[in-house]
Amino acid sequence: MTTDALGARREADAAVGLLVFLGATAMLFAALLLAYAVLRAQAPHWPPAGTPPLPRGLAGANTLLLAGASAALWRARRASPRGWRAAAGVLAAGFLIGQVVLWRHLAAVGLGARGQLPGQVFLALSALHALHVAAGLLVLLVSRRLRLVSLYWDFVLAVWVVLYVAVCWL
Amino acid sequence: MTAATTLADEPIPPAPTGFLRRHVFSTDHKVIGRQFLFLGLTFLAVGGIMAMLIRWQLARPGAPVPLVGKLFFASAGGVISPPAYTALFTMHGTIMIFFAVTPIVIGGFGNFLLPLLIGARDMAFPRLNMASFWTLAVATGLLCASFFVPLGPPQAGWTAYATLSTALGTPGAGQTLWVIAIYLNGASSVMGAVNYITTVLRLRAPGMSWLRLPLTVWGLFLTSILNALFVPVLGAAMVLLLFDRLFGTQFFVAGTTPGAGGDPILYQHLFWLFGHPEVYILILPAWGIIGDLLSFFARKPAFGYRVTVGALIGVVVLSSVVYGHHMFTTGLSPLLGESFMVLTMIISVPTSLLVLNWLGTLWRGAIRFNTPMLFCLGMVFTFGVGGLTGLYLADVVADIYLHDTYFVVGHFHLIMAAALLLSLFAATYFWYPKMFGRMLNERLGKLHFWLTFVPLNLVFIGQLIIGAQGMQRRLYDPSVYEAWRPLAGLNRGISHAAYLLGAAQLLFVWNFFMSLWRGRPAPPNPWEVGTLEWSVPSPPPHHNFDTIPVVVRGPHEMANPAAKPLGRDWLSQTELVEEPPR
Repeated sequence: MTTDALGARREADAAVGLLVFLGATAMLFAALLLAYAVLRAQAPHWPPAGTPPLPRGLAGANTLLLAGASAALWRARRASPRGWRAAAGVLAAGFLIGQVVLWRHLAAVGLGARGQLPGQVFLALSALHALHVAAGLLVLLVSRRLRLVSLYWDFVLAVWVVLYVAVCWL
Repeated sequence: MTAATTLADEPIPPAPTGFLRRHVFSTDHKVIGRQFLFLGLTFLAVGGIMAMLIRWQLARPGAPVPLVGKLFFASAGGVISPPAYTALFTMHGTIMIFFAVTPIVIGGFGNFLLPLLIGARDMAFPRLNMASFWTLAVATGLLCASFFVPLGPPQAGWTAYATLSTALGTPGAGQTLWVIAIYLNGASSVMGAVNYITTVLRLRAPGMSWLRLPLTVWGLFLTSILNALFVPVLGAAMVLLLFDRLFGTQFFVAGTTPGAGGDPILYQHLFWLFGHPEVYILILPAWGIIGDLLSFFARKPAFGYRVTVGALIGVVVLSSVVYGHHMFTTGLSPLLGESFMVLTMIISVPTSLLVLNWLGTLWRGAIRFNTPMLFCLGMVFTFGVGGLTGLYLADVVADIYLHDTYFVVGHFHLIMAAALLLSLFAATYFWYPKMFGRMLNERLGKLHFWLTFVPLNLVFIGQLIIGAQGMQRRLYDPSVYEAWRPLAGLNRGISHAAYLLGAAQLLFVWNFFMSLWRGRPAPPNPWEVGTLEWSVPSPPPHHNFDTIPVVVRGPHEMANPAAKPLGRDWLSQTELVEEPPR
C-alpha cells in the first residue's frame, strides 16, 4: 500500500473518531442547556426581577471573532495555509480574551457566580465552552489535519451561537 | 479501494524496545488492557474490603473492628463512626462502579479483546488509548487523595445527590476531589468510546461483517455508543456541581425566595439520565461475553444470534428513556411516572429474549463444565433473579414502599455485583490463557466458583428479604430502631456470608498470581473455539496477526458437520472447508 493510501485511510479513521467525539461533546452542552431550560421553566419570571440585562453587544462582538476564526480556517484549507491559520489562531485568542473581559464585566454588574441566576448560567456554559476553544487553539497549533481542525472549529462556533442565542436573546 | 482491501496490507508496526514504552507508557492495546485490568482488580479488592467493613457495622453495630480497626479508625478506638460509615458506603459504590467494574470490563477486556476479536493489529488511535488509561490513573489518584484532606473523604453517597453534595451539605475538599475524579473518569471513558467505536467501524478484518461479529464485540460496541452519549451528561452535572462547590453558584441549591435559586431535583435528572444507561454500559459487555461463552462451552452455535443482537440494540435504545424510575419518590408528575413505569417494563422484553436465547443455547448442548462455564451458568441464574426483582421496582406503587430500602440494594447488587462479577470472572478464566500465556488452575477455579456463587446469593437475596421488610439502606445502626431489631439475626447472617464471599476471593488472587509463573503454559487454543483471538499464539505477538485474517464465517461454528472430516466439532472463523449439502 502506498503511503498516500495509508495516510488517506488514517485521515478517514480520524474523521470518524472526531465525529464520535463531537457527538459526545454535543451531549455535554445539550445536557447543560437542558439544565438551563429546567431552571428557567421553574422560575416565576425570567429573567428574575431586578436582573441587569446580559451584555448582548459585547458577547456579539466575541461571536464575530469566533466566526472569523472559523472562516479563516476555511480559507486556510484552500490557499496559503500558514497565513490564514495564524489569523485563525489570533482571532481565537481574541475570542478568549474577549470572554474574560465579558466575565469581568458580568461580575461587576451583579451577574457573576454569586449573582443572579441568568449570570450563573451564562458563566458556567461559556466557561466550559471557552475550555473547548482553548483546547481547539492547542490543536490548531500542532495538528497537521487542517480539514478536521476546521471541522472542530465549526462545531465550537455552532455551540457558541446556540449558547449565545439561548442565554442572551431568548 | 475499499477499507477492507487496504486493511490487509497495513504495514506491521515495529515493537517498542525500552522498558517504559513496553510496560508503562505503552500504546499496545494488550498492555493497556492489562493495565486497566490490574487497576480495576486492585480497586475491586479495595471496594470489597470496604463492603466487609460496612457489613461488620451492620452485623455488630458499634463494636470495634477486629484486626484493622485500630489502623483505619484510630480516633474512634477502632469503631466505625457515623461519618466513617457514610464515607465507606460512598466510596464503596464509587470505587466499585467507576474504578473497578468499568476499568475491568470495558477498559481491561474491551481493550485486550476488541482488536483481536475483529482481526485488527491495534486500536484505531493507540495514543488516545494510552491517554485514556492515564487519565483514569490521574482520576484514581485524586479519588484516593480525598482520604487525606481535612474533613475527610466524600460522604454524599455514590449518587452525590444535591444538596447533600454541595458545599452546604458536604464541605471540604474531599467531595470536590470526588467531583473532579468522576469528571476525569468520564473523560477517560469517552476517549475509550471514541476509540472503540472507530475501531469497530473501520478496522474489522475483511469478511468480518456485522453479523459475523462475536457477541462480545457487539456488547462492547453498543456500550461505547452509550458511553459516548451519556457519560457527557454526567459530565454536565459534575461541571455544575463543581461551580456550586467552588464558585458559589446555586444551580442545585434552592433559593431563599421562590424562583431565585436553583433546583436540587435537577441534579437527579442529570444524574439518572446518565445513571440508568450506565447500568447497561456495564452489563452490555457482560451480556455479550456470556452469549459467546455459553455457545463455546455448550458446543453449539449461539441460539438466535440475530435476535440476541436485536435485543442488545433494543436495550440500548430503551435504556435512554427509562431513567425516571429512579425518581418516583421525588414528586414526579403521575403521568410522567406512569410513562417511565411502562417504558421500564418494556425493557424486560429484550432482556427476556436474551435469557431465552441463552437457555436455547444450553438446550441439548454437549456442555463442558469448565470453570468459565460454571461462572456463566451462575451469571444466568443471578441475572434472572436480579432482573425479576427489578419489575417490582419499576412499578410506581411498589417502588414507593421499596424505594431506598435494602430491596433496592439487593436488586442492583444481584445485577451489578453478582451477575457482572460472575461474568467478569468467567471472562478472566476464559481469556487469562490468551492474556498471560498460562492456564489458571481448574480445581482452584471450580472451588472459587462454588465459594463465590453460594455466599453471593445468600448475601444479596438476604438483602432482598430485609428490604422487603422495609429496612432502609445507608442506615448506620439498625438496632436503634424497634422495627429492625428482629432483623438483627438476618443482618448478621448476611454479614457472615459476605465474609465468606470476601475470603473466597483470596483463592482467586492466589490462583491468578501463582499461575502467572507456575501455570501450565497455554496452547494457542485451549478451549477449542473458532474466534480470531484463538488463531494466534498465547500471548499474541505485538502486532497480533502476521497477516490480517480473512473471515469466512460467524463466531459460533460449533457442532458444524463440515468440521467432522477434520476430526473436531468446531471451525475457525477463517477456515474454508467443503460444506456438506444441507
